[in-house]
Amino acid sequence: MVFLTIANLVRVRGPDEFWRKRRIFRLAAHYIGRRRNCYSIAVRNVHRALVYATKARKLKKQDMIDLWNTRITAACEQHNITQFSLKEGLDRANIMLDRKSLSDLACWEPRTFECLAAVAKEKLQLDGFVNYADKKLPTGTELNLRDVMLEHWLKEEKH
Amino acid sequence: MSAAKRVQQWATFARTWHIFDCKWQDPYESANIIKKYLMGQHKPIYHPLNDCGDVVVCINSREIALRGDEWRKRAYFHHTGYPGGASWTLAWELHNKDPTMIIKKAVYRAMKGNLQRRHTMQRLFIYHEENVPEDIMKNVSSQIRQSRLVPTRLDHIPEEEVKQYPKVMDYPKDYVLK
Amino acid sequence: MSAKNLFLNSGFVRAPLQNGVGRYVCQLQRIVLKFCKSHGGSRGMRDFIEQDLVDFAKHHPGVVVYLKPRRHRSPVIVGEYLNGDRVWMNVHNKTHEEITKWIEVLRTQQGDIASVRLRKYQYTDHPSIQGPWTPFTFKDPELNTAELPSSKFGANNRLPMSATEQLRLMFEKQKISTKTEDLKIAE
Repeated sequence: MVFLTIANLVRVRGPDEFWRKRRIFRLAAHYIGRRRNCYSIAVRNVHRALVYATKARKLKKQDMIDLWNTRITAACEQHNITQFSLKEGLDRANIMLDRKSLSDLACWEPRTFECLAAVAKEKLQLDGFVNYADKKLPTGTELNLRDVMLEHWLKEEKH
Repeated sequence: MSAAKRVQQWATFARTWHIFDCKWQDPYESANIIKKYLMGQHKPIYHPLNDCGDVVVCINSREIALRGDEWRKRAYFHHTGYPGGASWTLAWELHNKDPTMIIKKAVYRAMKGNLQRRHTMQRLFIYHEENVPEDIMKNVSSQIRQSRLVPTRLDHIPEEEVKQYPKVMDYPKDYVLK
Repeated sequence: MSAKNLFLNSGFVRAPLQNGVGRYVCQLQRIVLKFCKSHGGSRGMRDFIEQDLVDFAKHHPGVVVYLKPRRHRSPVIVGEYLNGDRVWMNVHNKTHEEITKWIEVLRTQQGDIASVRLRKYQYTDHPSIQGPWTPFTFKDPELNTAELPSSKFGANNRLPMSATEQLRLMFEKQKISTKTEDLKIAE
C-alpha cells in the first residue's frame, strides 16, 4: 500500500529559515541566557530593542540640545550674561552660531566665547535692549570691554 | 594618554571647594545656587556622567532667614518607618534641634530626584557657625556670592563715620525720642 | 544601534599611522577576482580583466591580484586589507565601467568602512588652540591670596544702587559744584 496523503500533511518550513533566524541571532548576541539562543524568545527581545532604537533617535537629539543649553548657560553665567541675551545680541550682530558651535567654543575655546559674550553685550547696549527676565545673580565677573576688545574701546574713548 | 594630556585632564576636571555664607539668606533661594555648584552645572564641561560637581561648604547656617510666617508655619515631615511613626516638626523646632537641617533639606529638595542625588549631597558640608575644621578650610579656594544684601548694623559702623555722614534732616534739640 | 553588539561595531574616523599626512601606503593588500569564463553575468568582469587589469597591476605594485576562473559561479571581488578586514562584493551583471569604479573604491578604502558606524564625522588630534576650559580660566587671581570667607568675594556685587547711595552721590556733586562756584567768585 502506498500512502500518498501523509506526505501532504508534512509541512516544509522553507530552506531560508537558518539565515532568517541568523539575522535575529546576530543582533541578540550580547543578551543573557535563553534570549540569545532560543529564537522565539530572542525575536521578541530583538523587536523591542529595535523599537527602542527607533524612538531613541528623536530623544538623542533632544538630549543633545538640552546638554548644549546647559553648557551655554553655564558659560554665560561666568560672564554675567543670560543665554537669552547672548542669543539676542549675536542675532542682532548677524553672528549665526548654533547651539552646538557655541557649546563647543565654550568648552574648547573659552576666550573666543568671552569675546562673543562681550560682542553680544555691546550690541544690546547700543540697541538699548533690556532683558527684564535677567535676575542679575552675581555668578561671574563683569566683562570689561577693554580687556576683550582693546581697539574698539580705544576708539570709543577717543570720542 | 601622554603626560601633557593627563595634566590637562586634571586641570579641566579639578574639583573646587567653594564656601558660602548663609547669613541672613533665604535657604530656598541659596539652595538653587548651591545645587548648581554641587551638580557641576556652572561648568561648560558639564555632563551628568562626568562627575564634575564641586564641594560646597556652608557656614553660619544658624543665621538663615526664612520668609514671612514660615518660621512659625512651615512644617517638615518625617516617618520612622514604624506604624504611628509620622511626625510633623515646625521650622523653629527643627532649627533649635539641629541648625543645619533646614538648609540641607532645602538643597535636597532643589535637586532632581534621581539616584545621583544622595551621592551629590555628600559633597555638601554645613556648619551652623563660623568654625570650620581646619582640614576642610585648607581645601577651600573660592567663594560663592550671596544673592541678598546683608546690611551693616548701625552699631558696627565706627562713630566718626556715623557723625560725618550727610543728613537730610535732623531732630530739634529739645525733641524727646522714645 | 547598540554599542555592545558584536556585529554592529562603532568607531571614529581614523587613518592608520596618519596615512596620507606624510607618505601614503595603499591599504589594500590583495584583491581576488572570481569569474566565469562563459556565463553572461561575468561579461563586465571579463572585459575589465582583458582591458584594464594589467594596467591596474602595473600602477599598484603593492596590491597582489589573484584571478580565479570558476565555472557556473557568479563573479565576485574579494579585497583584503592591511588591518585584516575582508570585503566581499558580488559584481554579477555589472558593467565594465561599474566594476572599474568599484575596484577604485576598494583600492582607496582603508578597511571595511561600511561595517563600522561612525560615532562622529570629524576627528582631530588638536581640538583646542586656546587651551580647553579649566576652572581657573576665568577665576579672579585675587582669590588665590584672599582670606576666605570675605565680604569682598561673598557679597552681591550686581545689586542696583540704593537710594541712600544715590542721595550721598548727589550731595557730593553739590559740594563740588559749590566749591567750584566759590573758587570762581574768589577769582
